[in-house]
Amino acid sequence: MAYHNQYRPPHFNNAPPDQSFLWNIFQRVDKDRSGAISDTELQQALSNGTWTPFNPVTVRSIISMFDRENKGGVSFNEFAGVWKYITDWQNIFRTYDRDNSGFIDKNELKQALTGFGYRLSDQFYNTLIEKFDRQKRSQVAFDDFIQCCIVLQRLTDVFRRYDTDQDGWIQVSYEQYLSMVFNVV
Amino acid sequence: MAYPGYNRQPYGGYPGSFPAPPVQDPMWGYFTAIAGQDGEVDAEELQRCLTQTGISGTYNPFSLETCRIMIAMLDRDYTGKMGFNEFKELFAVLNGWKQNFVMVDRDGSGTVEAHELSQCITNMGYRITPQALNCIIKRYSRSGKIYFDDFVACCVKLRSLTDNFRRRDTMHQGMVNFQYDDFILCTMAV
Repeated sequence: MAYHNQYRPPHFNNAPPDQSFLWNIFQRVDKDRSGAISDTELQQALSNGTWTPFNPVTVRSIISMFDRENKGGVSFNEFAGVWKYITDWQNIFRTYDRDNSGFIDKNELKQALTGFGYRLSDQFYNTLIEKFDRQKRSQVAFDDFIQCCIVLQRLTDVFRRYDTDQDGWIQVSYEQYLSMVFNVV
Repeated sequence: MAYPGYNRQPYGGYPGSFPAPPVQDPMWGYFTAIAGQDGEVDAEELQRCLTQTGISGTYNPFSLETCRIMIAMLDRDYTGKMGFNEFKELFAVLNGWKQNFVMVDRDGSGTVEAHELSQCITNMGYRITPQALNCIIKRYSRSGKIYFDDFVACCVKLRSLTDNFRRRDTMHQGMVNFQYDDFILCTMAV
């Protein structure tokens, strides 16, 4: 059974926010007024609903996704993308946190990932929660949920790059396997 | 073969077999004191256990995340916990890695340089291309330096990924066919 083309969370078509609204937010987050939002500044601006700091690894992933110049931060131009990305994830999280607990438990995670197109075993979800749940509650908070999805997506992307005939199988050497995987896990 | 052999003797020198732990074994003492009724430790308990053994020496104790991946490295049945025999195996392996690190960290600063990490990895018997090595170094260095805890995390992941690969390379060809589901599962579990 080959995997489909989806494996992405649904795209929310909200109307783009207006520039002055974004600029307001940007200025508040860019505390040192450097003109770019750093990892630390973004981390301080985000909430994961647990009163503990937002996962720094997730923050790094988000910044590097939108930082086109490799400067270690996002400028105002790039910030619109960051804002939309986070807003989309908030919507997804709220959709799947069906009991409104502020956390996604194993069953809700299953529904979310199945909704994105993944077909994963029940036991695998135990592994996922164990690996990503930093609050140690056997559920994932907002930041850890994003991180889990990012890693799954990246591994799928790298697999797909090697699966040129799209049959769900790849053949790799030891070194290829290490290089493929080491900067994702 | 491109990857190192696994002829490590388990702690105590018994090749391949794990006898019942003798009462005088200090490892057993540390372990049972923390493991509790189920005889197994989770990441947080492992962290306490390892700190007690003093294996980190003058370096900072292992982070919780590093302890989690240590368990994953030996966790064949995906329980997320580690039994005593695995603990002994881990301890022996950690000592080996620590020696590698200490040999290179001559000023005892607790960090090694990026190029020294390459050397360590090669000394451990891994034959990896420069590109793959660069991926690894980028992942673990902080301002061009690699701290002991990150070094150990790197070794754990290298070994886990190598195990993943070896287990599937039954013909010893250095090539493996991965099916997508299996790929995701074994790689995410690392």
